[in-house]
Amino acid sequence: MGKYLLRRILQVIPVVLGTTLLVYALVFALPGDPVKAMFGDKPVNEAVAAQIRAEYNLDKPFIVQYLLFLRNALTLDFGNTFAGQPVIDEIARAFPVTIKLALMAFVFEAIFGVVFGIISGFKKGKWYDTVILIVSLLLISVPTFVTGFLGQYLLGVKWSILPVTAGNNPGFIDLLLPAMVLGSVSMAYIIRLTRAEISSNIAEDYVRTARAKGMSNRSVMLRHVLRNSLIPVVTYLGQDIAALMGGAMISETIFNIHGVGWLTYQSILKGEGNLVVSIVTLLMLIFVVCNLIVDMLYAVLDPRIRYA
Amino acid sequence: MKKKALAFAAAACAAAMLLSGCGSSNSGDSTTAGGSGSSYILAYASEPQKTFIPGNINETGGGKPADMMFARLVSFDDNSKASNEIAESVTPNENATEYTIKLKDWKFSNGDPVKAENFTKAWSYVANAKNAMLGSSFFQTIAGYDALQDADNLKGDEQLSGLKVVDDKTFTVALSAPDSAFGLKIGYTAFAPLPDSFFDDPKAFGENPKDGCTGPYVFESWKHNQDIMMKKNPDYKGNRPAQNDGIDFKIYTSDTAAYADIQAGNLDVMESVPAAQSKTFEKDPKVQPFNEAGSVIQTFTIPSNMEHFQNGTEEGELRRQAISMAIDRKALCEKVLSGTGTPATDFTSPKTPGYSDSLPGKENLEYNPDKAKELWDKANAISKFDGPLTFSYNVDGGAKPIYDAVANSINNVLGKGVASTNPIPTFQEFRDAITDRKMTGAFRTGWQPDYPSPENYLVQLFASSAADGKGSNDGDFKDPEFDALMDQAAATGDEEAANKIYQQGEEILLKELPAIPLYYSNANGVASKAVKSGFAFNWQNLPTYEEMSKK
Repeated sequence: MGKYLLRRILQVIPVVLGTTLLVYALVFALPGDPVKAMFGDKPVNEAVAAQIRAEYNLDKPFIVQYLLFLRNALTLDFGNTFAGQPVIDEIARAFPVTIKLALMAFVFEAIFGVVFGIISGFKKGKWYDTVILIVSLLLISVPTFVTGFLGQYLLGVKWSILPVTAGNNPGFIDLLLPAMVLGSVSMAYIIRLTRAEISSNIAEDYVRTARAKGMSNRSVMLRHVLRNSLIPVVTYLGQDIAALMGGAMISETIFNIHGVGWLTYQSILKGEGNLVVSIVTLLMLIFVVCNLIVDMLYAVLDPRIRYA
Repeated sequence: MKKKALAFAAAACAAAMLLSGCGSSNSGDSTTAGGSGSSYILAYASEPQKTFIPGNINETGGGKPADMMFARLVSFDDNSKASNEIAESVTPNENATEYTIKLKDWKFSNGDPVKAENFTKAWSYVANAKNAMLGSSFFQTIAGYDALQDADNLKGDEQLSGLKVVDDKTFTVALSAPDSAFGLKIGYTAFAPLPDSFFDDPKAFGENPKDGCTGPYVFESWKHNQDIMMKKNPDYKGNRPAQNDGIDFKIYTSDTAAYADIQAGNLDVMESVPAAQSKTFEKDPKVQPFNEAGSVIQTFTIPSNMEHFQNGTEEGELRRQAISMAIDRKALCEKVLSGTGTPATDFTSPKTPGYSDSLPGKENLEYNPDKAKELWDKANAISKFDGPLTFSYNVDGGAKPIYDAVANSINNVLGKGVASTNPIPTFQEFRDAITDRKMTGAFRTGWQPDYPSPENYLVQLFASSAADGKGSNDGDFKDPEFDALMDQAAATGDEEAANKIYQQGEEILLKELPAIPLYYSNANGVASKAVKSGFAFNWQNLPTYEEMSKK
């Protein structure tokens, strides 16, 4: 187990190097000069522009810029944004709220997804199975920004049940609607995944064997069918938590949450290479860690899987 | 058994994390209400792109709060009329090359008096290229500016040689060329005085300028990506006294989120309307709407030396006029902009002093399909143009429907294939193509004034001195007759007389059409029902925050 973990962690190093280089190159390749853009439609004072370029190393060739970034990053200095803010501060402001939002969405989609999936899967063909199926189909096919705006208008503006926007230092209630919107599509997928897994596992031979041996229906369902059905669901959930963090841009924008998705979008627009790379690297680390946890959980769910 | 325990521990851990995360935030939640006890105006804002150094602010995120915190020598009322603010008097010599400026008794928020030196040192700091201030070019007409542009050989504290301190309350400004508009330029934010403490640590001042405020409000706090708060300045004795206790500029991720908050009463005012609401906001019972012609003009520029459209040739003039007359501006404003624009009749704006809607040649800006076709055919008789004339615009600014309509209108009148559009994904790329002079057809241009004077629209955009990358004359229009009129107006001390000369200059532009005016962007926005009085817009198309009151 320990060796396995060490190997997995060492694998992260080349992944980090590759990702940062790739993302840095992509930001560098973005058309448009961020320094010129600062002047808007005003004339560009070249002497001033040259100073700004020198400050942010923008006057140097790409590979030099990248190596300078890497060297500074090793000493945990991620540079400044064009607004003069340390990148690390920007990240420290954006991540907590997004982690909160993503975890809430995660719990929402995990609980409701699995519960409705189980109900649907065990009671196939009942009227509520049909209702759950239709609703999940609807959630998958309607884009998030539609659910977001609709939810905001109806629940927030019109009926005043939930806060319209999350605002500063959002709490549980403020983030409830955004989290539900964020998690709704994944929830729908989980419902369908759980339902499909359960209904295929019910027909497996080992279930018949277990029944034939006189096991109660309850323990057949819980210990055999459910446990086996949850492996793909856990895989999906593990990868989704990282996706929820990076992909919250739409719900963050609709509900005025200054989180990671919004920050990434803004920094790409402004051509802030250091910021984009730092965020993506962090997201990638989260993704790697989540994957590792999922792999560990396999062993818990399925005794046949062992790590040496 | 061991594994089960592990799984359980992991689940418990996750749950605890979630609960503690949410729990802690609930306690901090009360701050969201932000000053609801007093009558603070909650205003829509975006995160400033730079810090609060007046000479380094070039966008509204920082510009709106800065305008409220930093008073200048003169201020403008809602109708663009200038009056003295910190200045006791601003006196030009007869050909407007030297100004003598006397100051009133005025205080910074830390109690220090505002002295002549606070102006001269601040201006020199911004002008000095070593300090990399975005507003540097505003000082280029002051004598000694060129000496401060060689950043490699500067330390940053060199002074503009044209500024001379006479005594604590008086200084003189020598200009490198006559400029009768200088008395208005000094109303721009970059010309604000800075306290002595600024020069010790400009960076710290930018983050927290509470010592250097001279305007109707004093800086309180800036929580990045959250809000910028400022309270009423009790010592302020200027022209724009605050009618509320303060302003809380709330930073939003999008204008749609802000609009929803205005509907729900969580936000008081915003100076724009999201595209989705532009058709309905005037009838929305949950908000107070505002929608009137403003100071921003939207045009498109056809490069002056473009083949078949050259300025100064008969063919070019005919084609430019034909294109202009082929555009149905009224329909554009009503149908495409849903009434949030007003058809343009000149090159300045209805909010600009000296504006006239009946200048000779303004018929060139009116829809006249028959005349347009006639002029176009005449031009084709001189030299055949197979087209198309491409219209470039940046897609991220929402200009697509406008340029689709412009191209359609032209094609309907002048024949299929005359006009086509060329969308460019981002503003950056778009501006790059313009500054690098890579545009091969017409391109979107627009102007938001820095100070309310026709000079700011005409000289900055169409004078030869602003062409070839030296200013904002993106089409490189050069006309000696126009330049002579601009110089003459600049040397005319009397504002009324100067405005008359600027109008003559506009007549030349209306004939030659270096750029083709489309419409004035309306100053539009919404306020919440909680705002009881003072909701209007100023010459910058911004709400009159200081006049708003919730009582």
